[in-house]
Order: sequence, then structure tokens, then C-alpha cells
Amino acid sequence: MAADTRCFHCGSEVARDSHWQVRYEGGLQPCCCGGCQGAAELILGQGLGRYYEFRSGDARAPEQETADWSVFDRESSLRRYTLLEPDATRTVSLQLEGLHCAACGWLIENSLRQIPGVRVLTVQVSAERAELRFDPQRVSLSMLLRRLSDLGYRGRPLSFTGRDDEGATERRRALLRLAVAGFGMMQVMTFAASLYAGALEGMNAGLARLMQLVSMIVATPVVLFSAQPFFAAAWRSLRAGTLGMDVPVAASIGAAYLWSVWVTLIGHGTVYFDSAVMFTFFLLCGRYVEMSLRHRSGFQQHALARLLPESVLRMRDGRSERVTPDELAAGDEICILPGERVAADGTVDLGESEIDESLLTGESAPRRRVPGDTLTAGTLNMSHPLTVRVLRVGPDSTLAAVSRLLVQAQASRPRFADQADRVAAWFVGAVLLLAAGVAAYWLQQDAARAFPTVLAVLVVTCPCALSLATPAVLAAATSRLASAGLLVTRGRALERLAGADRIVLDKTGTLTRGRVRIERVHLLDPRCDAQRCLAIGAALERFSTHPIASAFASLDPAPGATGLEAEAGRGVGASIDGVRYRIGRYDYAAALCTSKLPRARDLPDTLQGMIVLSDTQGPMACFELSDPLREDVPDAVLALRARGLEPLIASGDRAGVVTHVAQRLGVVGARAALDAPAKLSWVRELQHAGHGVVMVGDGINDAPVMAGADVSIAIGSGTDLAKVSADLVLMGERLTPIVQAIDTARSARRIIRQNLLWAALYNATAVPLAAAGVLQPWMASIGMSLSSLLVVLNATRLLRRSGGRQSSHPPRARRIAEAATA
Amino acid sequence: MNILYLLIPLGLVLLAIAVWAFFWAVRTRQFDDLDSPAMQILLDDDRAPRKRRG
Repeated sequence: MAADTRCFHCGSEVARDSHWQVRYEGGLQPCCCGGCQGAAELILGQGLGRYYEFRSGDARAPEQETADWSVFDRESSLRRYTLLEPDATRTVSLQLEGLHCAACGWLIENSLRQIPGVRVLTVQVSAERAELRFDPQRVSLSMLLRRLSDLGYRGRPLSFTGRDDEGATERRRALLRLAVAGFGMMQVMTFAASLYAGALEGMNAGLARLMQLVSMIVATPVVLFSAQPFFAAAWRSLRAGTLGMDVPVAASIGAAYLWSVWVTLIGHGTVYFDSAVMFTFFLLCGRYVEMSLRHRSGFQQHALARLLPESVLRMRDGRSERVTPDELAAGDEICILPGERVAADGTVDLGESEIDESLLTGESAPRRRVPGDTLTAGTLNMSHPLTVRVLRVGPDSTLAAVSRLLVQAQASRPRFADQADRVAAWFVGAVLLLAAGVAAYWLQQDAARAFPTVLAVLVVTCPCALSLATPAVLAAATSRLASAGLLVTRGRALERLAGADRIVLDKTGTLTRGRVRIERVHLLDPRCDAQRCLAIGAALERFSTHPIASAFASLDPAPGATGLEAEAGRGVGASIDGVRYRIGRYDYAAALCTSKLPRARDLPDTLQGMIVLSDTQGPMACFELSDPLREDVPDAVLALRARGLEPLIASGDRAGVVTHVAQRLGVVGARAALDAPAKLSWVRELQHAGHGVVMVGDGINDAPVMAGADVSIAIGSGTDLAKVSADLVLMGERLTPIVQAIDTARSARRIIRQNLLWAALYNATAVPLAAAGVLQPWMASIGMSLSSLLVVLNATRLLRRSGGRQSSHPPRARRIAEAATA
Repeated sequence: MNILYLLIPLGLVLLAIAVWAFFWAVRTRQFDDLDSPAMQILLDDDRAPRKRRG
């Protein structure tokens, strides 16, 4: 079997001695583990093999240990999470994890449908939701959840409170407003064109009046329903004592509409319904684009809720029972077993244990917690059972607070947008003053022309091109990058990415695939045997989140590891049967033995990575590891350098290995044997030298470094919260999307500048014309709309260039075309 | 040009129907997921005729 054989199901590398395989279309396909084999067999056994033809990315390997879902079968859980239908069936909404393409939705739908007693109502890939109806007499909720978990997905039942998808409601409402304004605009513009033509050529007065009346009927819902957000926002900002951008917008829409209604009722004069409606429609278009961008990055809010365990052991009246975290109340006593996540904020009553808080704090060394200490929900209990008194639940909990912070962070807009807003506030004040001045002047000169002139000034100066300039570009950039497999989680990052000139790459898991294999075991001490060393290594590495730990994942660990210690980027240690062991970097492991001095020359000379296992008597064994480079790394490094970004390698690995890799890639700046603080200080050093630094890593072990860099990019194989702590998340296995991200960020910066320049030029020329009474309100409307349109179209240039993207997936496109013609 | 007295109100009726149809489409969540339905017509397994279950 070739060395780089990939798993049929999840695409990870298959160990040479793997015996897992499935039969697919007459041939045997290799699998990396029992979980993937099981999932593939399940999918193929149900006749759903077409999933493999149509998916656009590799699946996620199913979790090996299945969670305890049975807690969802209790009557109280059913009442909480499901809705009883009149025919005694129950409906449940699930939040799904692990979806990556539309084929996943199809797979879930068709696989669940084959279970008797289940009806799939909807599976929404974009919202990661599924709605199911099942018959509790024939099938249990836990069975459905287990089936999802066997397929490699994870479903979390939503309680009724969390079920309402605010985003979807907002999106639907915005779409309705946009549609009403759009339909209204088409009609009113038709009549307006006829009326203007009629005013020049002469038109039947009755017909003109009919057109005015119909325009009013159409414009009324547009102003009352579609433009309502502008009035509400203007009112809010006036009450807060500020001049928001919506104030002149609301003033001009309201004034144009009321004036036109008055003209229509008294029967003579010019109507401006067209200006009001067109204005509303174009502004709503801009808002819609901006909202879509906001929602797309909203996915991480759910990531935090996923940190809570499915169930928790609650102690009550001396009895213990499994309940869901939602059912806990302050004052409850719960028991957190080793390996379990803490279900709620609380204080330790009994027991002592190591708690891994890395996902919340970025600190990878576990903390010792003793009675009286507080625990945070979502952290991981690593060694001993703890009895915990619940302090806070639900919206008061730390997790909820962090989640709120995240929402705020997402709402934070790039500096360009903030600047535009600040400028706009001054601008609005100036515009209102100007309008008042113009009104005063024209009332004295020619009262009949006062209103149209003031309206033209208000409309033409609408700063919406200014305020659209940035969000439209960011939306386009984000969506282009998303199609390239890169998720932007913070808009600000794109701006900084455009100016970066140094890119620091982690080695393990970033330049390499992070699928480490043990190539060879060198025994350093004759008293040991290889099997025992591997078992001890596996027991220790179970507690490590470092990519190296994955090399030991398939081995049977020695039982009874206690007294855990871990040092970020150096290694882990624990006691087994009363003997202290350490595994990790040579200096870390060897530091355990005090009697015998460690001898570095004992180690085999190899360019591969290696780690050492040691007990108190000295080094026991050395594991030689191999971790091949990602295929596109050389290309990516060349492309980065061509764009003026100097690639640098920061690794925790030994100098020999790092130099070897650096030489192969032609990277000059490579530093080896760095732990997380050392990496961070290197990043700081670069920043002090005036460089913009991009950090690429797995997002877990180097979370503090990522936070310190100007832009952080995480490889998507990390955990959910790791994604949250990075500015950009790579969804696939390749590094080249980073190059695309840099190109896109630079084009985005250029286009934003063009847009701002255009908006400024436009206002500078149009305002004097409007104030002089040369521009009619309808001209102002068209001018304003064209200006906004130009800004948005300029932004979509970013999207158009990604048109070539489809051709980069010829096999998939061809398969779809074949299926379509079949 | 008198026909316009009929055609313009008629246009209004058509507009009302169009707006109503759009409201119906949005309310019945036709616009919620624009990705998966496009794949579904390609993926629906037509090799084994599925028994229709109520």
C-alpha cells in the first residue's frame, strides 16, 4: 500500500498496517479507523453511496467514544426538547455539527428517513438545523442522535427557548421589506416617467391625477413598511442626542412622501413619490448586503454552547441521576467525572483535580482546583471526580458572557467603517444646516422652488455611498474567501492582512499534516520493552492536545494514569502504578531523573521528529515520528514570498528537524525549540521592528501567540473554540487559500479607497448643483442611486474575479454535469 | 388613451398579486436555504424506487 493512502471516508492518512476497509463499487477502499469504516459501511449499506460522488470535501471522522445520549429519552427531556403532535408523534429541532456541504444534508435526510417511525421535516445545511418528527413508541430520541453520531455528525436537541432562529427571522423580514420597496419602485418609476414626459408634452389632466393617486397608493406601504427601520433608527438616534446617518434619510423620505400626499390631495403641483421610493429601495439593498455579511459570521455563537456536555450527574437526596445541563439550577450539587466537561459555573465542594481551561483562557497547562475554588462551565476535568455546587446557570453564566462578548466582537466593524460613521455624523450636521440655509435663501427668492431644492439637497447628500463603501466590499471579500475555503471571523482582520509583511508558520500541524505516525521505537534502556513504552506513552499523550498526541491515539493506553502535569509545547507527565513518567521534548522528559545525567548522544541521529519517554531513573525510549509536509506548502511559500510576505517558521520541534524543513522550503528565518511564550516574544519582536505579522497555527497550542499577532489564521482541523480565537479559519487541508486571502484583502483595501474617494468626489460636485436649484429631486435620487450602485458594483469586482474558481474543481463539476444529463 | 384608466388599476392588481406571492414564498421559508435544494435534485436516489409513505 502506498505511503500516502487516504481514508475513503475522512481523507486522513491511513497507517500502513491499517486493516480497516470498505467495499465500494467493486473495489476495497482503505479507512483510517474503525469509526470511519463504520460510518462508510452504514452509508453504503443504506444505498446512499452517491454521497461520496457529490460531496465537496472530506467528511469528519466519527467520534470513537459515543456520548451518553440516553438522558434525552427521559420523560422530562422529551417535554423540554420535543413538541407533542396531535397524533402522539413528537417534533424535535436539532443543531447539527460537522456539516460541510449540501451532500451532508442529503445524507442525513436519507439516512434518518430509513429508520422506521422517523419523518425528516427539513435539513438546512446553511443554518445547520434539522427538524425531525418521530414516533416515541417505535424509536427513541437517543437512537436518532446515535445514528447522527455514527455518520460522523453531531446533533444537539434545541430546547424551545433556543429554537427561534433570530437570524432567519431578521433575514425574512428584510427580504419582505426589500421586495415591497422593489415592486413599489418599479410601479412608481413607471408613472413618474410618464408624468415627467406628460409635463413636457402635455397630458390629460385626469390621467395625470390617476397616476398620482396610484403612485400614492403604491408608495404608502413602501414608506410605512419598508422604510420603517430608517424612521425607527432616526428616532432612536435623535432621542440619544446624536445625528445618525438615518436622520437625513428619514427626513428626506418623510418630507418627500408627505409633500407628495399633500400635492395629490389638493390636486396641483409636482409629486416626489419616485424619489422617496427609489431612495428607500437602494438604501435597503445596501442594508441587506451588510446584514448577510453579519449573519454569515454569526456561526461561532453556537460554538460556545457546544462546549457544554450532553448530560451531567446531579446528586439529589443522596441519589444521583443524569440530567441535561439545561435542567440545572443554582444550588444543585453535581458530580464531574474525569474526562467530562464542567456543565455549569460552580464551586468545588469535594475532591481535587486538574482542570483544563485552555479553551477559555488559552492557557494550555491544566490548573489544580481544590475545594472552595470556582470552576467555569465548558472547562475539562482531567483527573479526579469533583463534587461541585452550581453557582450560575443560563444567561448569568460565564459562557453566556463570553458568547455576548463574541457577538460584540463580530459587531465591531473595521476602522474604515468606524471612520466613515464618525465622518458621517459631522456630515449629517453640515447637511442639515446646509438644507436649512438653502430653504431660507429660496423662501426669499422663489418660494415655489424652495421645497424641491431642499429635497434635492437632502437626497443628493445622502451619505449612503460613503457608508456602503466599506461593508459592501467586506461582504464581497468574505464571500469570495468563503468559497475558497477560508472563513473570515473578524472583518478587521482583512484590513490588517492587506498590510502584513511577515508570516509566521507553525510547523507541526500547519506546514505538516499534523497526522503524526510513530515510525520506530528506539529503546534507550535495556530494562524496558517496546510494548510497555508505547502503552505508557499512549496513557500520557491521551491528556495532550498537541498534534503529536495523535500518533498514540490508536494504541491501548496503560491504565491508571494519575497526577497529571503538562507544559505547553514541552510535554506531559503522569504517574502510573506509583512510577512517575514524562513524555515530550528531550530536556523536559530527561529533567525527571535526578540521579543519572541525561546524555543527548544516546539519542539516534535522525532528521525526523522525535519525543522521549522517561521515568525517574532515566530516559526509557525514544519514539521516532514522521509527519509529512502538506502537498501545497512549497507552492504556498513561494507565492507568499512573491507577494512580499516573508515566511518564517516557529516550531517547538528540535533544531535539526526544523532546519531540514526550512532548507527544503527555502525559508531563511526559522527558529526551533520554541515554546508558546518564546513564539509570542518573537512575534512581538517582529512587531516592534515595524512588521505586520500574520500567525498561522492550529489555534490550540499556540492560542496566546495567535492572539498576539496582527492577524491569526487557524487550520480548521482544530476544535470549535480554536476557530473562535482566530481571525480567519482555513476549512480545508491546503494552505494556498491564505495566498488568496492576501490577494483579496489587498484588492479589498484598494476598492475601499476607490469607493471612499468616489463618494467624496460625488458629494463635492453634486451638493453645489443641488443647492443652486439646478438638480430636481428625481435627478438627485438617480444621482444618489447611481453613486451607491457604482460603489456596490465596484465591490462586486472582487466576486467576479473568483469566477475562475469553478474550473479548479473539474471532477466535481463534471460529475454534476453527468448526473444532470443522466 | 382611455384604456389606461383600465390598465393602470389592473397593473395595481397584478402588483398586489406579485407582492402576495412573494410574501407567501418568504413565509413558507422558500428562501431560507438556497444551497441544498439545488443539490437535492441531483442526489435523489432514483436507482431504487422509494415506497411512498404517508
